[in-house]
Amino acid sequence: MVLSFPGLSLAGHLAMSIFLMAAVFWMFETIPIYSTSILVIFFQVILLSAEGFIDYSSVLYEPLPYTQFIATLADPIIILFLGGFVLADASVKYDFDKSLTRLLLQPFGSQPKFIILGLMLVTAVLSAFMSNTATTAMMITVIIPIIARMEPGDPARIAVALSIPFAANIGGIATPIGTPPNAVVIAALNQQGVGVAFSSWMIYATPIAIIMLVVAWVVLLKLHPPAMKNLTLNLDGKLKKSRHAIILYITFALTVLLWVTEGLHGIRSSIVALMPVAVLTLSSSFDKEDIRKLPWEVLWLIAGGIALGISMKETGLAEWMVSSISWDQFGYLMLLALFGGVALVMSNFLSNTVTASLLIPLAISLATSGLLDGVAGMMTIGLVVALSASFAMVLPISTPPNAIAISTGMVQTKDMIVSGSIIGVIGLILILLFSIIYWPFIL
Amino acid sequence: MEQKIYILVVEDEPDVLDSIVRDISSFEAIFPIEMADTAEEARELIQEILDNDHQIGLILCDHVLPGDNGVELLVEMQNNEVTSKTRKVLITGQAGLKETVRAVNEADLKHYISKPWQKEELVDIVRELLTDYVLRNVKNPLPYMQVLDSERIAEFIRKGGGPTDN
Repeated sequence: MVLSFPGLSLAGHLAMSIFLMAAVFWMFETIPIYSTSILVIFFQVILLSAEGFIDYSSVLYEPLPYTQFIATLADPIIILFLGGFVLADASVKYDFDKSLTRLLLQPFGSQPKFIILGLMLVTAVLSAFMSNTATTAMMITVIIPIIARMEPGDPARIAVALSIPFAANIGGIATPIGTPPNAVVIAALNQQGVGVAFSSWMIYATPIAIIMLVVAWVVLLKLHPPAMKNLTLNLDGKLKKSRHAIILYITFALTVLLWVTEGLHGIRSSIVALMPVAVLTLSSSFDKEDIRKLPWEVLWLIAGGIALGISMKETGLAEWMVSSISWDQFGYLMLLALFGGVALVMSNFLSNTVTASLLIPLAISLATSGLLDGVAGMMTIGLVVALSASFAMVLPISTPPNAIAISTGMVQTKDMIVSGSIIGVIGLILILLFSIIYWPFIL
Repeated sequence: MEQKIYILVVEDEPDVLDSIVRDISSFEAIFPIEMADTAEEARELIQEILDNDHQIGLILCDHVLPGDNGVELLVEMQNNEVTSKTRKVLITGQAGLKETVRAVNEADLKHYISKPWQKEELVDIVRELLTDYVLRNVKNPLPYMQVLDSERIAEFIRKGGGPTDN
């Protein structure tokens, strides 16, 4: 130990070393971010668990069994994501995402501005249940022919090209499984005994997603008004009707229905999530090869974030870090603005999940140490961190959807910076607004 | 993109070489183009590119060359583990059936372009073959997306290749 901080236990120092290591590795990406997550769990097991190398018998710290750290890999929220991944990958396999896109785009007519709105709504709906990246990639295949049919100088080409990644980033906040930062935040809340039902999350976050979608639409149209009057969409394509495909459609509908009605029947979303995994594999709609192709590294990434939160809480590190700053001079809204602003800025440069993983332990301990108001305060700051992390869409490196859009060459980075910054700032203001006028009344 | 993917053009007639390179110049910003006028020179270039840890994504090769002929060179590349991944195209007016069959069977020839060619035809073939190469051999296809078949690359990402949510 090179440095020693008064008031911080030995375990706290070790947890801090792990936290700093994770922060540095995640920031500089010297090793893949999912690999840093596994390293976090590995070091926790060796350094902080009851079965680890360090003898804690003479100090106050009561080490957790190592199973607690490795159990993060099968945390309920991870199982929920696993269910979501299986549904999403099976949808891709049977082109359900494309069929749904064709169906949902139909009512949007032929005026470019409404077509852009339609594209954004479809993207957001899909990305609320599938990965933002896969949704963006699919929608890129939809907009390439559209853009090809527009005049070369039409500003709306930029609007179309940016509408997809922006809508995908925004759509991710709408449900717990929309994007990984939601998982990290929900898991951290669960550890404090605060359960977040699928439907409750949607009640908190979907309204803000809808408003932001409209905001993004207006911003894009104002900055890049369409010159064309009419645009026809080619919505040809067939719904797959094989037995396996139909099993998928039914399973998909049933799972989503059970998820969004969790508040009514009370069956936990992570339990419901096992149903598509079981049904789709037993019916061979989803086979061994498909299982191997699931994005397991995303689950690792989330697990590492959850584990980091556990050690910071258990060793008292999070509380110590929070208490070393005198927060009393900050007002309630200032605190939320600070966390939201930091999350927004950080996640423009770092992975959204990493941002949430680094900030949420601190945010939660603000609530537990009495600086925020109990469960509602904890919930609010959790939402602020998760949503702000997802509203970061200024640069190509901010999110994979942004990177894909820029890589197509259909839009320049400078256009993304302008509209992404406006959307980010409005998003943050809206989050803060929600935390005074909406969430306090429903939490 | 430290590791570059090269396009190699082998053609002994300077005019023809020029016009091939001119036709495919839209790829050059992302895929540097190297030129050789004999199989021997091509071998040296290949060695140099590989020694610098770069790759050869595509070779456009004439058949009739002074010294070793084009098919000879392609078969040789196919037998080398590193260059067997390179997409191989014959661009020629004079390869006989026997040699062409050999190029298909032994060099995994991907395309035969007979002279004279249309610019669009050449550009399309180059785009498709480089897209093949990138999707098979590169972990992150995004940096190449702009000059390649974006739809195919997007489809690849949709199916779980390349980047994922983070």
